[in-house]
Amino acid sequence: MTVDTGALTGSPPDGLLEIRDDADLVTEMAGHGWGDGLPLVAPTAERVDAMLAGCADPGEVVAVLPPRFGEATRHTLAVNAVMAGCLPAHLPVLEAAVRALARPELNLRGVNATTHCVAPLLVVHGEVARSAGYHGGLGAFGPGNRANAATGRALRLVLLHVAGATVGDGDASTQGGPAKYGYCVAENVDASPWPAYPTSVGVDAPSAVTVHCGEAPHNVHDMESDDPARILDKVASAMASTAQNNACISGGEYLVALCPEHAATCADAGWSRRDVASHLFQKARLPVAELKRAFALRAWAPWMERLSDHEDAPMTDHPDNIRVLVVGGPGKHSSVIPSWGMTRSVTLPIDPVGGTEPC
Amino acid sequence: MLIHRPDGHVATPPATLAPSPAVLAGRRIGILDNRKPNADVLLERLAERLVERTGATVVRTETKNAAVACNDQVLGLLAEEVDVILTGTAD
Repeated sequence: MTVDTGALTGSPPDGLLEIRDDADLVTEMAGHGWGDGLPLVAPTAERVDAMLAGCADPGEVVAVLPPRFGEATRHTLAVNAVMAGCLPAHLPVLEAAVRALARPELNLRGVNATTHCVAPLLVVHGEVARSAGYHGGLGAFGPGNRANAATGRALRLVLLHVAGATVGDGDASTQGGPAKYGYCVAENVDASPWPAYPTSVGVDAPSAVTVHCGEAPHNVHDMESDDPARILDKVASAMASTAQNNACISGGEYLVALCPEHAATCADAGWSRRDVASHLFQKARLPVAELKRAFALRAWAPWMERLSDHEDAPMTDHPDNIRVLVVGGPGKHSSVIPSWGMTRSVTLPIDPVGGTEPC
Repeated sequence: MLIHRPDGHVATPPATLAPSPAVLAGRRIGILDNRKPNADVLLERLAERLVERTGATVVRTETKNAAVACNDQVLGLLAEEVDVILTGTAD
């Protein structure tokens, strides 16, 4: 079957494409290797200009993203934001997330290229979460909230289009994953008994983003416990698995997204965020013999390699690798998001909120 | 209808492989093992066969983690000491 892409002949100006007004945009974009398979908003000049209204230098290169080494200018981010369905208020969040992607400790080249199903999870913190409509409450991981859905999708479109993380060429993920369509949530700081997450990693700003490259959320269910240890032991059991990349990489991170009720149970008993992480470090363990049987090749810290077979090894080599925050609404379901392993989460401020310099 | 391209410019041309030497006789071979299962077996056996068939020599074997780029120190050693590198990518 021949597909009429709707493309016109001729040479439009640099950076622009001309398509028929009645063309199917998804088909047209797919012809260039673009898009995520879902309907797209046409990035017309009018829409892109509106997205960039008030922004500083649209041509500024915010980041260079591997493996394509595409230049993520503020303008290019705006194009992708339009396509994903973002509002202008979402663009500063997207920009901060892209800056985070480019930090060397995040290892975007590996994240994009691996056969693992890893996807960058974008967590939005602070004032911008309120002002731009990000959701950290009931059903926060989705669906239903435009800010979360559109910004998460825009980040993926940037990875596909600018970074070149296209299936087969720049993304070797064996099975892919639903988190690769869009993976964005807000921290529910209003329901958190602890200070805002960014302060736990040294970022004290009115608004911030965290990008954690991990698997889709692993559910943790506890309906009955009024004891932090009893809840957290279940969280630890979700962490302690030989099925995860983190099992053979001792420096891997875990993002632990506690629901408000589980977090309240911990805090009401006097447990700090650090206490939670320390408990999980102690309890998320597997026998060394089991781990060594599962993995002949390990990227473990030297001290872990020296553990005896009859001892238990922690799933990660330091409590600081267990990052705890509050997400969700009423109910008693939390989640564990194991990282890909060879990546570190990055938290960056968004400055200023709602300002125009820079966007 | 005119729309903006979503991909933008490429910052630097992608790295390309150096041309292969026409003859391996007398060349120095290095092995860069990415530590994926059996990579060492495959690369070492390949090097052995090349040595037998061409008279090349294996002068250095290094390892790297497959998930991150090879560090500059190892790359520097290989660049100085070998003419051909045998390595693997992915699984």
